[in-house]
Amino acid sequence: MSPVEVDLRDARTFDRGIPHEAFARMRAASGLHRTPDDLRHGRGFWSVTRLADVVEVSRDPGTYSSEVGHIQMYDIDEDCLSARASMIDLDPPVHTRLRRLVSSAFTPRHVQGYRSAIRRRVRRQLDRIEVAGDGDWVTEVAAPIPIGVICDLMGVPEQDHDHLVELSDHLVAGTSSEPLPPDAYGNTTELRLLPFNSPAASAMSAYADRLAGRLRDEPGDDLSTQLLHAEIDGERLSPAEFANFFRLMIFAGNETTRSAMAHLALHHAAFPAAFGRVAGDRTLLGGLAEEIVRYSSPILYFRRTVTRHVELGGTPLAPGDKVVMWYAAANFDERAFDAPLEFRPDRPTTPTHSAFGGGGAHFCLGASLARLELVELLDEMFDRGLRLTVGEPSYVDSNFVNGIEHLPVRVDRDRRRPTTTNESTR
Amino acid sequence: MSADDVAVRVDTEVCIAGGQCELLAPDIFEIDDDEVVAVVRGDGRLPRNVALEVIDRCPSGAISIVGGSDHIPASGP
Ligand code: HEM
Ligand code: SF4
Repeated sequence: MSPVEVDLRDARTFDRGIPHEAFARMRAASGLHRTPDDLRHGRGFWSVTRLADVVEVSRDPGTYSSEVGHIQMYDIDEDCLSARASMIDLDPPVHTRLRRLVSSAFTPRHVQGYRSAIRRRVRRQLDRIEVAGDGDWVTEVAAPIPIGVICDLMGVPEQDHDHLVELSDHLVAGTSSEPLPPDAYGNTTELRLLPFNSPAASAMSAYADRLAGRLRDEPGDDLSTQLLHAEIDGERLSPAEFANFFRLMIFAGNETTRSAMAHLALHHAAFPAAFGRVAGDRTLLGGLAEEIVRYSSPILYFRRTVTRHVELGGTPLAPGDKVVMWYAAANFDERAFDAPLEFRPDRPTTPTHSAFGGGGAHFCLGASLARLELVELLDEMFDRGLRLTVGEPSYVDSNFVNGIEHLPVRVDRDRRRPTTTNESTR
Repeated sequence: MSADDVAVRVDTEVCIAGGQCELLAPDIFEIDDDEVVAVVRGDGRLPRNVALEVIDRCPSGAISIVGGSDHIPASGP
């Protein structure tokens, strides 16, 4: 008896997290898994589920393009591709030129400079939820920290952070079964031209325009100012290019890290021995953060489009074929990870998981920043001896992100530890 | 310096300036602020095992061993 096929196009396949059994069957099968063409969704696609294959695709942008087709599994028209494009949708060398406008701010050494600001945000949010004693871990902790950090970097004032969280949430909702109405936020742009087909994307572009206007008059010490003044081949970014860049940074720096921080709370409750060990040996903090990212795989997949005849994982591919890299499957590849379903903060550093991408030109720009945010949150939780009792999580309705919308928690302190006085809110 | 040292180079067309190399071997790699790519300091020599680790951790595959075979098979990103 062959087991029931899962539909990878259907967000409901992911409504309780990663479908591990289905992915394990795909990894074990020879060749790549095929989702057939269908009338409603259009052309089918190949699923890449083994780590080595994800790495191969990621490192060969000439064969597996981010630019000639969409990077989500569904297809969009040519004019939409260019209207939405930011560096994540482009191939080298254009991609490389855009990326270098911002990459120096994200090197491992440079992000160390953000450490104390991140810690302050962590303390403030933990103070709040501790005083309340219980609450929604996502709203109180996992959402505000990453959005605060990326907004600071991009020069967005504090009073606008909540607005951007809301817009960013709605972008993801564009991948769900119940999207926003087309005229939400006064949108008048055709949905097909907008990222995630979401009206929230035009609201975010409008915000970027306003911010750009302000920063042109009063330049700040932030990445948006840097982008607005940078020149590529003697030309500045157009308003649309800036807006697309801004939207990518806010979305990529926010939604993903939030989701890792939400899963962190679930892992904390599910794997007390592993967390206890790291609380006593902080040299393992980096390994713990890395394991949380692998185990949660906040971005489930990205797609590439094939540009030439090639064979991948035993399957011959033709130009135009769609290849979907399931990071969430590759991160549990038995060939690469010993006992992949076990949660181990002390895994060897190589092979590296693919939750930040399989390497290559698009490898997550913010990986060092995300790691630092997670490490600071964990370190502060351990300093305080925090204990979390978690309720039932509600997952974001999406087959693209492994997000958690809400997670009720009760927070108290491990009584065996001396209580340290809370840092006051600053 | 030992017999097992190797020299490395960075392909600046490929480097995405993530700085993983600088983190692992700060004496050898440095992100050049003007060019925004990794550059190799001095003769770029370092122990073979460190070189292999850095090559393995470089997300873009920009680093190679000078005089080595062109493609060092990486076991992961
Ligand atoms: C745990 C948190 C995060 C995860 C799991 C994650 C995951 C990813 C993945 C899978 C990619 C695509 C890689 C590829 O196509 O090869 C990516 C790209 C990207 N990420 Fe992250 N990310 C995280 C945090 C961040 C943060 C904090 C930022 C802040 C700036 C960020 C900015 C970006 C950008 C700008 C790209 C596009 C890079 C390019 O196209 O060159 N990410 N991320
Ligand atoms: S690790 Fe690789 S991509 Fe990153 S800076 Fe060094 S050489 Fe460049």
